[in-house]
Amino acid sequence: MSVIIKIQNLIKTYENGNIKALNGIDLEIEEGEFVSIIGQSGSGKSTLLNMIGFLDVPDSGTIEVAGIDLKETKHLDEFRSKKIGFIFQLHNLIPNLTVQENVEIPIYETSLNSKARSERALYLLSLVGLKDKVNMKPTKLSGGERQRVAIARALANNPSIILADEPTGSLDSKTSKEVLDLILELHEKENVTIVLVTHDTNVANLANRCIEVLDGKIISS
Amino acid sequence: MSFLGLIFKNPFRNKARAALAIIGIGIGIATIVALGGMTTGLTQSLDETLHQGGADFTILSSEDDAQGTPYGTKNLNDTWLDKIRSMDGVKKVEAIYLVTLPIDDDLGMVIGLEPNNTFDTGSLDTEIIEGGFLASDHQAVIGKLISEESNLTVGDKIKLADEEFEVVGISESGDPSYNSAVMAPISDLQDIMDQKGQISMIYVYAENNASVDTITKKINDSYGEELTTVTSVSDLKQMAEMLNMLDVFKWGISLLAIVIGGIGIINTMIMSVYERTREIGVLRAVGWRKSRILTMILGESLVLTMSSAFIGTVIIVAILEILSWLGYLSVFSPIFTWDVIAQGFAVAIGVGLIGGIYPAYRASKLPPIEALRYE
Repeated sequence: MSVIIKIQNLIKTYENGNIKALNGIDLEIEEGEFVSIIGQSGSGKSTLLNMIGFLDVPDSGTIEVAGIDLKETKHLDEFRSKKIGFIFQLHNLIPNLTVQENVEIPIYETSLNSKARSERALYLLSLVGLKDKVNMKPTKLSGGERQRVAIARALANNPSIILADEPTGSLDSKTSKEVLDLILELHEKENVTIVLVTHDTNVANLANRCIEVLDGKIISS
Repeated sequence: MSFLGLIFKNPFRNKARAALAIIGIGIGIATIVALGGMTTGLTQSLDETLHQGGADFTILSSEDDAQGTPYGTKNLNDTWLDKIRSMDGVKKVEAIYLVTLPIDDDLGMVIGLEPNNTFDTGSLDTEIIEGGFLASDHQAVIGKLISEESNLTVGDKIKLADEEFEVVGISESGDPSYNSAVMAPISDLQDIMDQKGQISMIYVYAENNASVDTITKKINDSYGEELTTVTSVSDLKQMAEMLNMLDVFKWGISLLAIVIGGIGIINTMIMSVYERTREIGVLRAVGWRKSRILTMILGESLVLTMSSAFIGTVIIVAILEILSWLGYLSVFSPIFTWDVIAQGFAVAIGVGLIGGIYPAYRASKLPPIEALRYE
């Protein structure tokens, strides 16, 4: 398998260099791998995830994702649209749109027409078991169902990598298990690379590989 | 849902705020449309008055007198009638004497005309709906509104100043000001006003094969110091100045509407962007370009202002048409041309763009990572 994420000596500081969020990270992740990043609050795991998703830029070091160098590309939006799918802890769905419309949101940046966009969203919603709730507003759904919609949205543009930041952080244990089972199932079915950030060792151990981060450094991989 | 559908849907998330913004801007647009409609109506009404009976042009005194005719000119001596009538190319002349008199109890417009003349009321969109035209002294043709309000019909008596006139006809016009007016013999009105031999203006009808320009040029060359020939309202200095003033007033209000509406819409859209900071971060995270965010917010601003223009225009047109139909607007009866409505919508687009551009720019420039962290 080929390397899909390659990070070398990544450094990111805040507050004029006083806080080192990432302090020389070196990491390689292969295509189709399911990697979890574990660490305490403030360890730098979410910062690392945001760097991989090209949402934030490092002070120094190199980061290459799906063959694209972050420093070289000017089309960060296009990269995120085509290559990355995000799952956030608080699902971040748009409250005035229906479940289906929320899943369609990333597809606006593609060349798909309205009908194809709708078909794609319906397919993804059936994949996450929400086919019967397509016209409901997110406020009418349970926490687990909302996170399922967020997962469907992350898969909308058929991304190479799914980046999940504490996807079960706000869910109870039963719902967390359902959501994690779904992520595992999608990983197997769609063969998508998954990078999941968590502070829960049980969740982290579900991955093929677990990376532990402390004070902006990888201490075990 | 299409992207356009999303733009139409978003502004109405917070219904109370959207309604307040629409009301605020709608009032400004309604004022512009109302003033535009009334200016157009006034211009057309004055133009119609100048061409009453299908006259080719009107002659007024070249001297100004605020107490004289309704056009702010001095009255003319009726000896001019024969001089103009004898000119080459002139088929017919008619004297008009416009005065404001107590009609029974209320002040109103009285139009002095020669009895038995061939006044073509049809070309003024006015017709005698009952009875006939003036045939002799102390007769009157009353407007439909006066007939209805005072319960007068043919054969009844009506008082102009203190003198009694017999109602011989009732007229109806598309112009509400004529429905509240009375037509009476010119000589009777001159006696009442103690202005024997005085008239307000002369309507001139040219021969079919004669050139109106040639006749007006001859009058201006020969009697230019005493007479003014008028073929449209814009030829009337005082009227043109008044209409210009109304126009300036209208655009002043428009500018005010743009400034106030613009500030209102900036406030509404900034609040909207502020509340949706995290959502904008998500949109950027899933790959939306800055230009799409900018288009969305700017589009939402335009949706609000165009909704304001639509609602404001519909309501003000309905209100003024009803008031006009009830006869409350008289000469200010509005005429809503496409130009007038387009001006209202143009201002709405201006307000939408000016008010929306800064919030849209701000939203598009939000760094996605900071937007996602926003609590």
